[in-house]
Amino acid sequence: MDENSLFDPELLRRYDRPGPRYTSYPTAPYFDPSFGEAELREFARRSNDELIPRPISLYVHVPYCASPCFYCGCNRVITRDARKGERYLERLLREIERTAPLYDRDRDVLQLHLGGGTPNFLRPAQLGQLLDSLGRHFHFSNSAERDFSIELDPRHIDAAGVAELAAMGFNRASLGVQDFDPDVQAAVNRVQSVEQTLAVIDGCREHGMRSVNVDLIHGLPRQSMDGFRRTLATVIEARPDRLAIYGYAHLPELFKAQRQIRTEELPDAELRLRLLELAVDELSAAGYCYIGMDHFALPDDDLARAQATGSLHRNFMGYTTHADSDLIGLGVSAISHIGDSYSQNPRDLPGWEIAIDQERLPVWRGIALTFDDVLRTDVIQSVMCHGTIDIAAVEHRFDIDFASYFAESLSRLQQLADDGLLILEDARISATSRGRFLLRIIAMCFDRYLQLPTSSDVTARYSKAI
Amino acid sequence: MTTGLPERDAGKRILADDGDALHFCSTCAFSAACLDSGYDKSRLHDLHVLVEHVGPFREGQHIFREGDEFNWIAGIRAGTVKTYVTDLAGREQVLGFFLPGEVIGLNAISRSRYPCNAVALDTVLLCRFSFPKMATLATQMPGLQQQLFRLLSEDIGKASLLAGDFAADERMAAFLVGLARRCAARGLSQTRLRLPMARTDIANYLRLAAETVSRILRRFQEDGIVRVERRDVEILDRAWLEDIARNVLRN
Repeated sequence: MDENSLFDPELLRRYDRPGPRYTSYPTAPYFDPSFGEAELREFARRSNDELIPRPISLYVHVPYCASPCFYCGCNRVITRDARKGERYLERLLREIERTAPLYDRDRDVLQLHLGGGTPNFLRPAQLGQLLDSLGRHFHFSNSAERDFSIELDPRHIDAAGVAELAAMGFNRASLGVQDFDPDVQAAVNRVQSVEQTLAVIDGCREHGMRSVNVDLIHGLPRQSMDGFRRTLATVIEARPDRLAIYGYAHLPELFKAQRQIRTEELPDAELRLRLLELAVDELSAAGYCYIGMDHFALPDDDLARAQATGSLHRNFMGYTTHADSDLIGLGVSAISHIGDSYSQNPRDLPGWEIAIDQERLPVWRGIALTFDDVLRTDVIQSVMCHGTIDIAAVEHRFDIDFASYFAESLSRLQQLADDGLLILEDARISATSRGRFLLRIIAMCFDRYLQLPTSSDVTARYSKAI
Repeated sequence: MTTGLPERDAGKRILADDGDALHFCSTCAFSAACLDSGYDKSRLHDLHVLVEHVGPFREGQHIFREGDEFNWIAGIRAGTVKTYVTDLAGREQVLGFFLPGEVIGLNAISRSRYPCNAVALDTVLLCRFSFPKMATLATQMPGLQQQLFRLLSEDIGKASLLAGDFAADERMAAFLVGLARRCAARGLSQTRLRLPMARTDIANYLRLAAETVSRILRRFQEDGIVRVERRDVEILDRAWLEDIARNVLRN
């Protein structure tokens, strides 16, 4: 990659505006509270009625963390009380018992992901109980392609714990690192040693996990080019199969913990860009492929191979090779994608707990997708996963005339084309190498909902596009 | 071809609404018979055989129920209809599926009440004919009487799919081939079939388990015989299906 053509500070500054990550379309703020349990049951029933029903992906959210990392915007509860984890697990098991019967037994689970918070707030034995229940109530695929992954905080697990996770079926892990620079770690309250981290990575490898992902963040307080360079070198030496380099989103009005970050310590826009540029340069030099959004992978990793063959997909868990599965979200705030619907569990723990205790399915809000939603999802997916849109394929699949249906989007795309982000042709639209770092901006041209109001101010909710 | 997407415009996709007071719709089940007998549509009006365009019936809406008084038969202009009975235990038994251009209500002829239920599986539009009036017309129009008998015979023939002790994949293949032939007869594509019925309905009709229907379709797909995308089935190897189905279809 020609580093000069990728990073045009003026361009990036112009386009550095808030935007969704498009792990769903429409995005969660547009889900409707009038969509409830009855609607979800109907969509579940319909999903069973397909000629060949789609396989199932499971997502389980574990919201607890022992200590707060100041940058975090995830749905989480800070506690050191292990009993809370125990009670949470009890309710999860009940949610599983109530949810699983909605889906026919011949639908295999090909993908399972535990996220949070800190999934390993639960001890391996508790995670074992969880997996055991899921395996009994759903039907786990025996295929070698199945992906059972877990996000891990390396500070709270050791090699023995990793061995237990591998034994119970996890074959992928994702580790939070963010930055190894001690100054940065102090500023965000996440002190984590290199040794601890490498021990967990080694443990994952040793116990047969198929891949390890490491999360880094650029734009954190006190970050410097030298410090980040050292972090990158350390991480690259460990050679994780996948890396995600997220851009820190400073939204203290929304995320209380971020108020403990001193804004004067945050890198300015130019340093943010240079930090990202550094990461991209170092990773490319080390042989990593850029998958899209913030993700990188080694060339023989499944994601890189899927990207090469055009079979990459994107869902709430990020990039995935498992296209066309129905996603069942379990636990507080979890999002489901069943047929042509999305639904979300309550984001507040009491709301989720009450629903479970009242023997209801914890559906807080959701949406039934229209033809227009499904069409735009397809186009946005194509942008986010491939950086291109095959216009003829879209026209054939949806029986539309692209130019007239998307006349408004095309006029917005024209401006992006004039700025060098993409190339507009009759047969296809493709992001340039500069544009590949601004895929969200391209996708936004197709988002019908951006002009529409929600109950809260949506714009502030999204992180910046870089 | 669009796949099993949310309905975009009600009934627009396989719709024949190209008829008017003088001309039969292109999917009309009776146009050939009437025209052969020298009757154009305006003549039907003179004979007071009123063709009523009724609908739309939404997915899940009943068109007639078992025990309703039998007054009319109807040709399907758009959509798919399922007929079924319920046994004493309340379990549903699917009798058949009806595509655009096909006629429902034939099994009520010579009775005073419909012997089964008919429900719309998607957005359905119908042409309704008063049966007493059509019966009268048929005595005057040999072509029409012949057409009615042919439709009746086809109706009976469809049911015989289940009469024998056939293997699951034979039934499934026969089901697909049968649908393909029926689509071809109505001028619809016989390589790209749209199956709006639930797999449980297909399974019920073929006396199989729902899982079996999917397992067989998955195997057919893996073997390159068909390609399934949601409710669309593309037939890639018709000859292979015909071969497997020959015991059941016998022609």
